[in-house]
Amino acid sequence: MNYKVAVIGDLSTTTGMALAGVPYTYVHKKRDETLAKLKEFFGDKQIGLILLTYRIAEELEPDFSQFMRSKSMIPVVLKIPDKTGYAPKVDELSEMIRRTVGTEIAVKEGTG
Amino acid sequence: MATALTISPTRMELIKLKRRVSLAQRGHDLLREKMDALVMEFFDVLKKVQGSRTRALERLFRAYRVLSECFATMGTIETVESARETKRELQLEISSRHVMGITVPVIEDPKVERNALARGYSLYTTSSLLDETSKEFEQALKLLVKHAELEASAFAIGKELEKTKRRVNALEYILIPKLQETIKFISMRLDEMERENFTRLKRIKAILEERR
Amino acid sequence: MDRLIKLELSRLNVHLPEKRMTLREALSSSKPEVMTRNGGKHALNREELEFLAGLLPEKNWNELQLPILIAFEPKFGKSAARISGKAGAYVVSKILDKEEAEELLIYRPEVAILRKKLPTTTQYVFIG
Repeated sequence: MNYKVAVIGDLSTTTGMALAGVPYTYVHKKRDETLAKLKEFFGDKQIGLILLTYRIAEELEPDFSQFMRSKSMIPVVLKIPDKTGYAPKVDELSEMIRRTVGTEIAVKEGTG
Repeated sequence: MATALTISPTRMELIKLKRRVSLAQRGHDLLREKMDALVMEFFDVLKKVQGSRTRALERLFRAYRVLSECFATMGTIETVESARETKRELQLEISSRHVMGITVPVIEDPKVERNALARGYSLYTTSSLLDETSKEFEQALKLLVKHAELEASAFAIGKELEKTKRRVNALEYILIPKLQETIKFISMRLDEMERENFTRLKRIKAILEERR
Repeated sequence: MDRLIKLELSRLNVHLPEKRMTLREALSSSKPEVMTRNGGKHALNREELEFLAGLLPEKNWNELQLPILIAFEPKFGKSAARISGKAGAYVVSKILDKEEAEELLIYRPEVAILRKKLPTTTQYVFIG
């Protein structure tokens, strides 16, 4: 199946991704509006991948986690850093590794 | 034990309990195999995720840096305007595969890279810096798409592993010991009752013989 | 809790294909995929198919059923898995550099290698 990509971010992220050919981009301003947009993207059967910045994902909590729990495999959602490189201190995947396998495996933080 | 007392100590109950233990044991053994297999799959995908994350983010940060240069040189408004004119037809081919009941996405490598002409913004008003920015983001996006597939797989497998581990532990440390405890209790009660019966019968026999 | 165990056990093998596909069928399909018991689709990776085709003589392509099943059966020992079917056992023995056999018994580290090489053309089965 063919799908489209959507991006929710600040002006830098959306501009960059638009230049790379991403069909749907949305610049975040107000929480409620962005949340509505996210809902729209989730409901759109054409969209297979949503990229959004960590900062916005955090601002959309707890609704964002709620969306993530109730969604099926598609759309795939990936959180990315914005141009400031912002990513939360506690990495979700590292947390999961700690809980399941018990050992701490350093998931490299790609701050460049 | 509280549950042990609520069950009546009969042979029938004992048989039922033994059946339940064997189901629980069978479930435990199978889920344990599944758990071990999930750990293996989890480690495998984690190894890939770490590398893909580093590579994708390095590329993304490089793209951000070139973009801010472009903003500074060409002007933010002009750059955003060019982005608006860009052809934005990126398509992803996504299918799925199954790992032990978990559905994970498979995303084909997308055809992101294109030349300046194919991008569609007007070349008269733009600088070569815009081409470079576009190229950088195309490459970052390509890596991010691959990373998205791996990360989604890691989360899905990890989630199932967490759930399976909880079940295995509940069986191993709670349900099975509890059932075994109850079986022990009932067996002891039955033995006791049998001994009581035996003494009673003996006494009755003695009384009867005395009367003869 | 008993119901939960039964539910978990019934869930163990829902990812298995309704019907498997031979290597020849898969190679000739433009989009090789099998339907799973729970109604999902499981795509077979083309590179893996070509890798398998290189290991198995062409005359046997009809005999290799995909995905190859890695069967765990705790009754017969923990952490050991069986590969049944002549063609499947043959390609797995080639990959793991083991002696050929009609039925192959492999151990967890070998399962790991196999899964890494064939993530879509192998699948786990749990038999209790």
